[in-house]
Amino acid sequence: MTGRPLRADQEPVTTDGALALVNLSAQIDGVAAPVRRAGSAAPRAVAQQAVLVDLLTLRGHLLGRIADYEQAAQLSEQMVWNAPDDSAALLARARTRATLHRFAEAMVDLDAAGRAGAGQATLDAERAAILQAVGCHAEAHGLLRSAAPHQTDFTMLSALAVLQAERGETAEAEHVFDEARTVYRGVSPFPLAQLDFRRGVMWLREGDLPTARSWFAVARRRVPGYAPATGHLAEVDLLLGAPETAVARLRPLVETSDDPEYAAHLALALRAAGRHQEAQLWRDRAAERYEELVTRHPEAYADHAADFWLMVGGDVDRGLQLALQTLVMRQTSRSYALVRRAREATEGLARDASGPRHPATSM
Amino acid sequence: MADHFSGPRILFDPASDVADVFAFPSPDRPGCLVLVLDVFPAAAPTALFSDAITYRFRVRPVARAAERAAFTVGDTEYGLDFTFAAPGQIPGSDEPVQIGTCTTPSGEQFLFQVGNETPTEAEGLRIFAGPRLDPFFIDLAGVLAADATQKLAFRPGADNVLEGMNVLSIVVEVDPEVVFGLDCGPLLGVVGETVTSGGRPVRLERMGRPEIKNVVLASKSHDPVNSDLEIRDLYNEGDAFAVRPDYAGAYRTRFNANLAFFDRLDGERVWPADDQGTHPLTELLLADFLVVDISQPFSEGSCFEIETALLAGRPHTTCGGRAPNDDIVDTLYTLLVNGVDGPRISDGVDHATRPATHEFPYLVAPNPNPPDLTAVMAALLAPPEPEEEAA
Repeated sequence: MTGRPLRADQEPVTTDGALALVNLSAQIDGVAAPVRRAGSAAPRAVAQQAVLVDLLTLRGHLLGRIADYEQAAQLSEQMVWNAPDDSAALLARARTRATLHRFAEAMVDLDAAGRAGAGQATLDAERAAILQAVGCHAEAHGLLRSAAPHQTDFTMLSALAVLQAERGETAEAEHVFDEARTVYRGVSPFPLAQLDFRRGVMWLREGDLPTARSWFAVARRRVPGYAPATGHLAEVDLLLGAPETAVARLRPLVETSDDPEYAAHLALALRAAGRHQEAQLWRDRAAERYEELVTRHPEAYADHAADFWLMVGGDVDRGLQLALQTLVMRQTSRSYALVRRAREATEGLARDASGPRHPATSM
Repeated sequence: MADHFSGPRILFDPASDVADVFAFPSPDRPGCLVLVLDVFPAAAPTALFSDAITYRFRVRPVARAAERAAFTVGDTEYGLDFTFAAPGQIPGSDEPVQIGTCTTPSGEQFLFQVGNETPTEAEGLRIFAGPRLDPFFIDLAGVLAADATQKLAFRPGADNVLEGMNVLSIVVEVDPEVVFGLDCGPLLGVVGETVTSGGRPVRLERMGRPEIKNVVLASKSHDPVNSDLEIRDLYNEGDAFAVRPDYAGAYRTRFNANLAFFDRLDGERVWPADDQGTHPLTELLLADFLVVDISQPFSEGSCFEIETALLAGRPHTTCGGRAPNDDIVDTLYTLLVNGVDGPRISDGVDHATRPATHEFPYLVAPNPNPPDLTAVMAALLAPPEPEEEAA
């Protein structure tokens, strides 16, 4: 393992992950009521609504529930409609737009929030996250540095660690990931699980599968229902030649998550395990859901859908079309890489000229 | 709201969010002290206590200070710690079961089951922990309107913002002589806290008197020094019995500024500041703990009576402390706006969804169907009424 192993006596003690997830839902159900009763445009009511938006977004991430993202987005739109000059409402909408990869509109909201009096450090941190997502790492780094004195140590260090991970600076990132864990003072398991998950993603991108697996496992131990960590663990299992383990991990996930990524991964794992008929079922389910999501949220799901069609979906033309759509929306190195991969797949098929180029109905 | 949602940090850690603390002589066991700690405001019925938090009552003897309107705090501390395990399953039930442990000052431990309506009894102790109907009541819209308009804005028949809401409650009835070995009194200072239970303990929340953080300290706009500081998270970390000198100046400035704001709400000044700009209530409220007299019988409506008697220079006549049915919003606004014996102000909400009883565990059973997200979201996202739009 490239990263250092964790010592049990140095592990921060946090609330049991399953318990915390139950409480997160209990909190979401509860917070909504005072939100309604205090009136919709009063500053403190807007602040409560913003909390609800953030809680829904958090649950959406942890459980892989796109419906939560959509509910948060809908609520933030309503907040801005009710209080168009309230910085908290504009910040909330910026965050939900960023979650759904509507980055340009999110930036517009942040500008408006700034004019409405939002703190510079908050704006810097939000803009940094967006710039990071679109691959402008140097600019993001500058903004993170200016926001740092106004943030908690954990928030600042975890943002920096993730940025360095994205830049491929793994040695530096490892150091900062460790530092962030050390300064964590809360009892919520979610921030730490998210941090460990991002550390796993870094090693997965680096191709160090055992290290990636260990961090995904750490994240999942802290929050057993953590969907992205479970999904990535299954991905690593598959890459390490353990398709049945991947299938076992993904089965519960496809029942609770409405993100087609897990159905697509399950189809891949089943195919690798030689269970083609079952694989076809999950491939079809993922295909249908991706088409829905590409229509509703193209900015967020076109690239994932392209990836799906290029792999288990089996329609490289559709994959290329969506990859190009992604490139039009975001000219990042990842978008270019996706288009390149789609073109190679299309050209490969043309060279072979040995199979149907149009929608694959068999796997 | 009494201490519900009192600071940005705990909004993402609801099981650590102290909503209320009550301390009162037992109505049905004379000589015993009842301590109540409510956490997890607006909890759905599925909410659980965290297994990474110590829920703590801290009790110290206090006495009236000789030459000023304040209390001196004794060195001896009596603590009751409540910790909880992660929920488990018991055979034949689909419902998760959570077990708690109460640790007394002598180190004795007593186990109890969360949600068990039959209290756990031990020598000198009765314990209940689980969901209850939130006993607090307030016209939050009126409080917010006063903040915005700088005028009193309460109206008769206002809505209780916490109507039908639940909290997680820990209720413990203590025989102070048996459990604390108490040989002093009769005045006790009481604080409720949530503290991390692993590694170095970190105080997450603390509460003594109601509405100190959310009503008195929350507003930044009057503070001449720290007008951009969300002071409540910092305040929550502090020790109520020994305020850190490093931060005392910031707290005093905020108290002085905001208490002066409340005094101005009716246009008349009843609390003139001294030459240093110090509000007469600042030192008293900065020592943020409930003061209860366990030699007095239980009585409702006695919250702040010991403090107001102290301010007026007369002996107190009730148990003080705080009982669940006390209309603390009326009491606090009366004190802050109209002074010790001024005419009573009403926020227009006079009772909780269902009043507390006089029998253990005092707080009433939770609402099995608190306002749910679907209905609330539907209301939130509904298009405006035509006349609203026209307006």
